[in-house]
Amino acid sequence: MAHYRVQQWSTFARTWWLFDARWQCPWISARTIIPYLQGTKKPIYHPLSDTGDHVIVINTRLIAMKNERWITFKHIHDSRYRPKGVIEKRAWQIHAEEPTKIFEKAVYYSMDKNLLRRNLMARLHLFPDESVPEDLLKNVSDCIRQPMLAPKRLDEYTEEDRRNFPKLFDWPKDFVLDDGFRTKKQIEFQEP
Amino acid sequence: MVFLTFIRSALNQGPDKYWRIQQQLRFSWHFYGRKRNCYKIGMRYVFKALRYGVSGRKDKLKNMRELWYRRINAGSEEHGLEGKMFLEGLARSEIQLDRKILSSLAIYEPRTFKSLCEVSKNTLKEHNLPFHEKHINSRQNLLKDLINNEKSVEI
Repeated sequence: MAHYRVQQWSTFARTWWLFDARWQCPWISARTIIPYLQGTKKPIYHPLSDTGDHVIVINTRLIAMKNERWITFKHIHDSRYRPKGVIEKRAWQIHAEEPTKIFEKAVYYSMDKNLLRRNLMARLHLFPDESVPEDLLKNVSDCIRQPMLAPKRLDEYTEEDRRNFPKLFDWPKDFVLDDGFRTKKQIEFQEP
Repeated sequence: MVFLTFIRSALNQGPDKYWRIQQQLRFSWHFYGRKRNCYKIGMRYVFKALRYGVSGRKDKLKNMRELWYRRINAGSEEHGLEGKMFLEGLARSEIQLDRKILSSLAIYEPRTFKSLCEVSKNTLKEHNLPFHEKHINSRQNLLKDLINNEKSVEI
């Protein structure tokens, strides 16, 4: 089979993927990216052989989170120096300083805890905007599908669409709309 | 061995002492320290090593089976089919192929693997089984502006 040797070369090549993180949860999108970095998407996968790919992530500044996750979620860094060695920072606080930090940590923590982890993270290229250097963008052959559907904002709809949207009645002017956040007890109390 | 008298059984002390020791040294040649050369000290470690060998044979098959399934799953997802349903489709169409064989087909003979995927898809449709056809990666409209120059694509 010596004359088929040339055809095998592309199977062992490192392919480059592109992922758009616009309106995506970082922890869910980390689960989709990791198989590409790890090489489990290929049938030639073996834990000892290095079959991972490169992934370029763009628009990490525009990631989305749940209800109050920006306020409640915090990264903790402990330097083991007891007086004021522990540093706690909220998600919004980190995101303002470094817009790629939260996405990087989400991928790093949800990966398998091996010695390979640092080397796989070196193949993840993160960018806050759509501005990617052309040297990297040349290599890109395909893009990864987004796990979550990006919803359309209310501002993006035109006024005609909003008027024509079917509704049974108009709200009275004094009525206060709920913001949709209810506990389980409140729902049980109201519904029966 | 049947001993008709008590005297015969007392005389029989098992195999020769020299060969018994040689048998053990053959197992303990790769140990470190006195358990490598001393018979009495090495006895416990040789028995434990043989016991690990028995359990290791089961673990090896378990690990290999996990790797075969991972390779089949990767191969079938390229054609938009989950690995779990791919195996069920083959079983319903009475194709009796091992996981070991299927994983090697996915690597060395991708065209035959593709045809097997189509066979399993058709059988799943005949049986009205809900198989979740995964999306194959394709270019999105959002990213067309970034990669509109197709000449720059290099693998």
